[in-house]
Amino acid sequence: MSILAASSTTATFVAPHVEFGKLSPMLIAFGTATLGILVEAFAPRKQRYGIQVGLALVGIAASFAAVLALAGTTASVVAQGSVAVDGTTLFLQGTILVISFVAFLVIAERKTDQNQDAFAAQGASVPGSAAERETTRRGWQTTEVYPLLMFSVGGMLLFPAANDLLTMFVALEALSLPLYLVCGLARHRRLLSQEAALKYFLLGAFSSAFFLYGAAMLYGYAGSVNLAVIAQHVAHPTAGSTLLYTGVALLGMGLLFKVGAAPFHMWTPDVYQGAPTPVTGFMAAATKIAAFGALVRVLDVGLGVNSAENVWRPVMQAVAIITMIVGGVLALTQRDIKRMLAYSAILNAGYLLIGVTSTTAQARAAVLFYLPVYGVAIIGAFAVVTLVRDAGGEATDLSRWAGLGRRAPIPAALLAVFLLAFAGIPFTSIFIGKFAIFQAALAAGSPDLVIVAVLASALAAFFYLRVVVVMFFSDPLPQGPTIAHPSIAVKTALAVAAFATVALGVAPSLLLHLANNSAGILAK
Amino acid sequence: MGNTGHGETFLFWVGSIISILGALGLIFSKKIVHAALCLCTVMLCLAFFYMAQGAVFLGVVQIVVYTGAVMMLFLFVLMLIGIESQDSLVETIRGQRWLAVPFVLAFGFVLIGVYAHANLPEFVGTDAANAKGGGNVQSLALLLFSRYFWAFEVSSAVLITSATGAMVLTHRERTVPRKSQREISIERFERWGKGEKVSLTGLPNPGVYAQHNAVDTPALLPDGSPSEASVNATLRGRDTVRGFRPLPLPGARRNGAAVASRGDAGNEEVSQ
Repeated sequence: MSILAASSTTATFVAPHVEFGKLSPMLIAFGTATLGILVEAFAPRKQRYGIQVGLALVGIAASFAAVLALAGTTASVVAQGSVAVDGTTLFLQGTILVISFVAFLVIAERKTDQNQDAFAAQGASVPGSAAERETTRRGWQTTEVYPLLMFSVGGMLLFPAANDLLTMFVALEALSLPLYLVCGLARHRRLLSQEAALKYFLLGAFSSAFFLYGAAMLYGYAGSVNLAVIAQHVAHPTAGSTLLYTGVALLGMGLLFKVGAAPFHMWTPDVYQGAPTPVTGFMAAATKIAAFGALVRVLDVGLGVNSAENVWRPVMQAVAIITMIVGGVLALTQRDIKRMLAYSAILNAGYLLIGVTSTTAQARAAVLFYLPVYGVAIIGAFAVVTLVRDAGGEATDLSRWAGLGRRAPIPAALLAVFLLAFAGIPFTSIFIGKFAIFQAALAAGSPDLVIVAVLASALAAFFYLRVVVVMFFSDPLPQGPTIAHPSIAVKTALAVAAFATVALGVAPSLLLHLANNSAGILAK
Repeated sequence: MGNTGHGETFLFWVGSIISILGALGLIFSKKIVHAALCLCTVMLCLAFFYMAQGAVFLGVVQIVVYTGAVMMLFLFVLMLIGIESQDSLVETIRGQRWLAVPFVLAFGFVLIGVYAHANLPEFVGTDAANAKGGGNVQSLALLLFSRYFWAFEVSSAVLITSATGAMVLTHRERTVPRKSQREISIERFERWGKGEKVSLTGLPNPGVYAQHNAVDTPALLPDGSPSEASVNATLRGRDTVRGFRPLPLPGARRNGAAVASRGDAGNEEVSQ
């Protein structure tokens, strides 16, 4: 075989040009995470918590500053065609960083649970063992979660920016792997948490395999994994489209799994329930933003040609309808607040899919507006859940929440604000978001989707309001859960979330304007 | 399409049959070691395919890294856990497996149908791509360190995550320093001095017979009865102590019944 013989005509290697400036948000996030690993190795145990939290918050802020510095630069494809830095990318990256900052404030909370954070004292000790009691007594903490979550943030920054399927896959793994780990590290109800982590890992690996299989099919079709090249081949086909359709279907499965759309939603309730609650909030918000960003890029850049759109649009519309029905109906039957919020997350993925399938710039702007307002509200809702506590951790059963509004008016009122926003009550941010998405869908000519969405919203209003009724209009339990007094950081996070939810409902124009300006620009 | 040589076609048909048999064996074999070996077969077949298609480096990596390193590590882990340990085959959701069958078949038929009708683009092969960099390895290196350098860099994040994650999930730091043999001995005498019932000489070893010499085999006391203290308390708690059946000796009165496997823990300390 000629290839085995080393040839003398070796091509000269030209070092690639690296646009450090345009890659800086991701570089800062990954760099912070790596520094965190070094801190874990060299800092004494007592100081690790403080250093890690500070480092992570500074890293996120620095990365956000880098995004702000890049705002307004011309859209371009950097890193040899791997990363597209454009309006949509920067908007989503900024959103992910703001959401992460708020989420980290809640994740780092120690005041609500006797000076312990939400993570197991030592992940390796057997639940209920003497080693677990001893490490807890000594106040050990798994501070590795902060660098791990920073790696996840880095992956999320890359996921919506990835301009070829290979980079997108690596980003998918970089964002998922830390989440699988952190899901299994809850301090209370550890077996449930470990089960959630295993389920998430196995199903996630399975969906990654589908993604890869789809990417291979598309490579077979276009001879490249680059989205722009795939788009060229779709527009000017050189071969039959069989590989294209198979590839899109398999790739779609991988992405819809991360989005949490039915019928790939099975992991959502179990994982949301088992994971440490602050991490659930982070996952529900930030992962969804990154995954929708990637979905928009694949569909609009790679497959945004009419001939392809006509094929995938009906399928995605069907997925959107099934997602809304499954999310809405199953949320009705839940007795656990975390599971209810999980099904509500599925329902919201359905609304967002309506926006994605419409593929107009208007719809894309609506999706870009919806993602941050939904993300902030869901982090706030899960933050309130962390405050309502029993002896064994959080009291998540809805029956335990009876009369909470009389005993703890402020947390209950905050949760009510978030739930009313989810229900789409006017003068809340999510109402505006829904309105924008429905309007875009009508303009794009799919009234059937809007009808289903409005019906699902009416159904959803029932189970959101049921929680409000339970909290405010039923008698408190004699031995109800205690309400923890959070630290100033969590108070700030809750205040920011509630303020954003109301303020963006009353005066949404600033964010709408920003979303509109960002949505039109997609680097190809 | 189809400028593959006859040799390659022949290799493909032979290899594909072997690898599909291996894959089926992986799923259906009851013993986990057989499953692991079947997986090795599949991986080796894949390596042959890669090499036949001109991806020599990939083929070598497939053998050295996957079949060689990863699978052997996997087998080591199996041996540590216990080669005979089996997964529970009880379905938690009843009928799930049978429900999966039609879906799997349907998915398979869809894929086969799709490929049967596929109008595939012209088959290119790897020769041109290999020639570009002056060899398979060189071309791969050129791609990896220039076109895909960013994905290559980010995969380091994935690697750091997995290393850290493995430590977080499995590494147990000692909360107290390990006791030396001297300290254990002193402690034992102190407890004995307080009137506790401890064995000063240390506990007896498990039994060693022609039939068994594992840790779950009790040693025999001079009167022929098994010694509870010779078997680890955990094994006794799990009821997995092996029964002992004395060999029938010529002329000896056969006392028949196997020694009851259920141990009565008594109040002897067996922890050290």
